[in-house]
Amino acid sequence: MDQKKQKETLILAAKAGKIMMKSGAEIYRVEDTIERICLACGVDHVNVFAMPTGIFVSINNEDQDDTVTYIKRIKSSETDLTKISKVNHFSREFTTTDMTIEEGLKILDEIDNGWKYPFWMRAIAASLVTGCFSVIFGGGALDFCVAFIVGACCYLLSRFLEKYEINFFIRGFICTAFAAACALVAAASIPGVAYAHIITGCIMLFVPGVAITNSIRDFLSGDMLSGLARMTEAVLIGISLAAGAGVVIKLWAILGGVVL
Amino acid sequence: MMTIIQQFLLALFATLGFAIIFRVPKKLIPVSIIVGALGWITYLISLYYFDSPVIGCFIGACLVGLCSTLAAYVFKNAATVFIIPGILCLVPGSKIFYTMEALLKDNLTGMAETGLQTLMMAGAIAMGLLVMGACTNVVRALIHKTVTLKDKF
Repeated sequence: MDQKKQKETLILAAKAGKIMMKSGAEIYRVEDTIERICLACGVDHVNVFAMPTGIFVSINNEDQDDTVTYIKRIKSSETDLTKISKVNHFSREFTTTDMTIEEGLKILDEIDNGWKYPFWMRAIAASLVTGCFSVIFGGGALDFCVAFIVGACCYLLSRFLEKYEINFFIRGFICTAFAAACALVAAASIPGVAYAHIITGCIMLFVPGVAITNSIRDFLSGDMLSGLARMTEAVLIGISLAAGAGVVIKLWAILGGVVL
Repeated sequence: MMTIIQQFLLALFATLGFAIIFRVPKKLIPVSIIVGALGWITYLISLYYFDSPVIGCFIGACLVGLCSTLAAYVFKNAATVFIIPGILCLVPGSKIFYTMEALLKDNLTGMAETGLQTLMMAGAIAMGLLVMGACTNVVRALIHKTVTLKDKF
């Protein structure tokens, strides 16, 4: 195996790993995928160390003197389960058929830039979440309507902040603060609207369910470091959500608004 | 009974929203939202019988874990695809808010109580997933062992 092929293999494997990690896959799945792709390309020894913020791959061939290492830093992440499922299928296909590396890279590019739900549809999905949860937690039909609109606005705000790479902690804070402000104004102006149900509905939209699930699955497979990192992320998001809503409610009370 | 059906439908639509935001593969959306709604109903039923949201969360998370593993096996896909939207209904989002509200009203006892309950519910979800994950690992290991034994003999 010459040096050029070694490099191409690494690029392909790290790209697959990066797409998975960005979309919110567990550590063992990422490590397993990279290892399988490298072995299928004919590498003799592979070692992978993956974390939520970066991937390290090191490969070694017996006919070469040097060990080659590749580091891929992962910055932003956005949960996308279709990508995980597709890369999973791709790695299975790549290891069982004799696909070339160029073809593999092309398929990975297609997966990465694949079709997404249009923006309005995601906004409606977000408002569906907030509306349904506000009713689940005891709200009425009026609460559903208000939460439906506030939820869509919250989602838009969150995507807007994400574009400017504001970190998750501040994003959660600002979004719930906005939701609480809207809910308080709605409760003050429309009789029969309870602000608590609307705020709880909006909090559910940003709740760290992905972080909790992934941290447990990481602990289970023995990746303590990533499990701890994701657990901390979950706790921090929870605190930021509570703080955002709390600050606005307190301010509202101080400024003389009536908290029902 | 009426409330159960109503709650089931609400949880179904809420999970559908999460499924679209997290982009669950289109073919698997019906399965994943049913898993989520079943988890929520199990939570409500165990809340009714045991009168403790912590045990409710535990049983709900166990069911979501079990259904997701089975679905992953049947549909040949990653279990995460079903677990992530399924578990979100159980995460104690409302408790986070009520903890905050108790703090704002200077009700420190209430805050400690709801805060502890929030943490315990999150822990119960973790325990439920952990127990189910460990069980599936054991079952998978046993199945693989029998397969290799068969191959050998």
